[in-house]
Amino acid sequence: MNRSYYWLILGLSVPAFIWLVPTIWMVSLSFQPNDVLARTTSSTALGLIPIPFTADNYIALFRFGQVPMWFLNSLIVSVGMTLAVLAVSTTAGYALARLDFPLKGPVIVLCLMGLMVPEQAVFIPLYTMFADWGWHNSHHALILPRVAVPIGVFLMMQFFKAIPKDIEEAARIDGVGWLQIFWYVMLPLARPAMMTLAILTFLYAWNDYLWPLVSAQQREYFTITLGLASIQSNFAQAEGLGRVMASGVIASLPVVVLFLIFQRYVVRAMTAGGTKG
Amino acid sequence: MPRQQGAGFALSQRQAAVILLVPFLTVYAVFLIYPFFKGVWISLHDWNLMAVAFNPDAKSYVGLRNYERVMWGHNITWGALASPGFQIIGLIGILASALLYRAGRAGKVTALAMGLAALLLFVLPGFHPGEGGRWYDRRFWPTVGNTILFVGLAVPGVTITAMLLAAALDGETRAKAVLRTLFFLSQVLSVTVVTLIWQIMFSPRQGLIANLTELFGGSPIVWLTAEGFAMAAIVIATIWWSLGIAMILFLAGIQDISKDLYEAGALDNATGAKAFWYITLPNLKRTITVVVVLQIILHFQVFGQSHLMTGGGPNDTTQVLVRYIYQTAFRDSELGRASAMAVFLFVIMGGFSILQFVLGREKDE
Repeated sequence: MNRSYYWLILGLSVPAFIWLVPTIWMVSLSFQPNDVLARTTSSTALGLIPIPFTADNYIALFRFGQVPMWFLNSLIVSVGMTLAVLAVSTTAGYALARLDFPLKGPVIVLCLMGLMVPEQAVFIPLYTMFADWGWHNSHHALILPRVAVPIGVFLMMQFFKAIPKDIEEAARIDGVGWLQIFWYVMLPLARPAMMTLAILTFLYAWNDYLWPLVSAQQREYFTITLGLASIQSNFAQAEGLGRVMASGVIASLPVVVLFLIFQRYVVRAMTAGGTKG
Repeated sequence: MPRQQGAGFALSQRQAAVILLVPFLTVYAVFLIYPFFKGVWISLHDWNLMAVAFNPDAKSYVGLRNYERVMWGHNITWGALASPGFQIIGLIGILASALLYRAGRAGKVTALAMGLAALLLFVLPGFHPGEGGRWYDRRFWPTVGNTILFVGLAVPGVTITAMLLAAALDGETRAKAVLRTLFFLSQVLSVTVVTLIWQIMFSPRQGLIANLTELFGGSPIVWLTAEGFAMAAIVIATIWWSLGIAMILFLAGIQDISKDLYEAGALDNATGAKAFWYITLPNLKRTITVVVVLQIILHFQVFGQSHLMTGGGPNDTTQVLVRYIYQTAFRDSELGRASAMAVFLFVIMGGFSILQFVLGREKDE
């Protein structure tokens, strides 16, 4: 390591810190008393250090208000969507990658075309359909539209295509059925790809805004992402800036923790989702 | 090995495929294919959300009238320089793509796509109401223009920042890994957290930026409600939010460049910025195209930043297409017109998706 390397790192630390400032500020404000924040947001070091300090915002958040319920809704929707996407994507991805059947080519093309349809092109008809069926304001209404997006099928299909054929053939000679091969041989091999897909789906579900905004009108069915939108327009008056910021921190905690633990998968998932869907 | 199956129970490949495909294809047909066609169908109707909700027959077939009411007007004419800003950029774009292709700096697909986009940029803004004419919907095209402006600011901003960062942060050291993590972190936040943070950052009374300007004796800018600053504000928030993916794609692209090139370059005294300009940049051409197309698709669908930070204002300067669709459908209850706009959005997105797909294919070969 030479001197220019240390200058580079030092030089980049400054923009990196600036990049982090908005996040630090949110966390710092969430730990300051609301009456102080009503007067000034720059008590100590432009407000970047939470002095005077209080944890009241978080306590209030969990004792009153709807944030815990929204958080739970987000958890249910995100986990539900992740499991559903994994189930339909692994099965369909395996069939499209490894099995022969009539009309296979057209089915693949049909699925591929679905990648071109943006959420915004179907959210109005989906709204009318779900309204006709009385499905709005429910967890499954928030889950199902995303399960139909074929991105996961393609991720799994590409993965299964790359597995050597002889593994399957050995099992076939032993007389093992196709579904057993899928379940006992292929799925264990597919764990890394499934992990990537799971994280991609969970992040999407947790952060989705447009569809929950359209579908969930009752506050009891808000996700945390949607709930946060509903309290930020009038934050200073109603609940106090500190508490709104605390809600923002709580809303970000799962995805940030997920990111810090599974960084490699998250990066792979987001780039795969970004470049292919 | 798992349980052995009796030969009589063994499924044929075809049966197994059907069993495995049915769950996905069912969901796909019901929640994507059907809604897509239903959306097109709604766009051909005069369809009021409330009226149809109470009486399913309260809609009427109007053919392409919704498209006309959204995109066309009374006595519309075309002029070569009716909207000089966009049209000159379009002309320059046409020339640039031709020159880049002739000079061998851009591939056939890239040049063609660039040229086509530039041609549209030249042709479309040329339409304007003639004497005594008017648009049926005078907000639609300005909204499209705002969306394009947003894309035109956010995409180069993200791309250039991400590329420079990736070039600087490529490497296996611990410090660089930490810095990469820091720059990527904001990418995982939800749009509502991002707008929450930046709304208060930009606030003239409580914002960090206002506090900073006051510290240096300046008077704070009313970012989100001042024309000219509002768009800049949501672009800044967007760059902050969505830099990560682009940076990672560039890092992958840089790692694909052979180390021999840099060693050979070092012999010719090309290090640091010189190496970046003469070695990294030319070899990143494909990655740049991929990142740009990806970002265009992503940012053309902008909604939350505009909806939550500025409410489309001031004076409609940050009104974007998806927000206009959302409002037309769910505030004005005009599902027919909103669906026509959604189809318009789909056509544009579809064009870029095909381009993205073709580019991805080229890469695989």
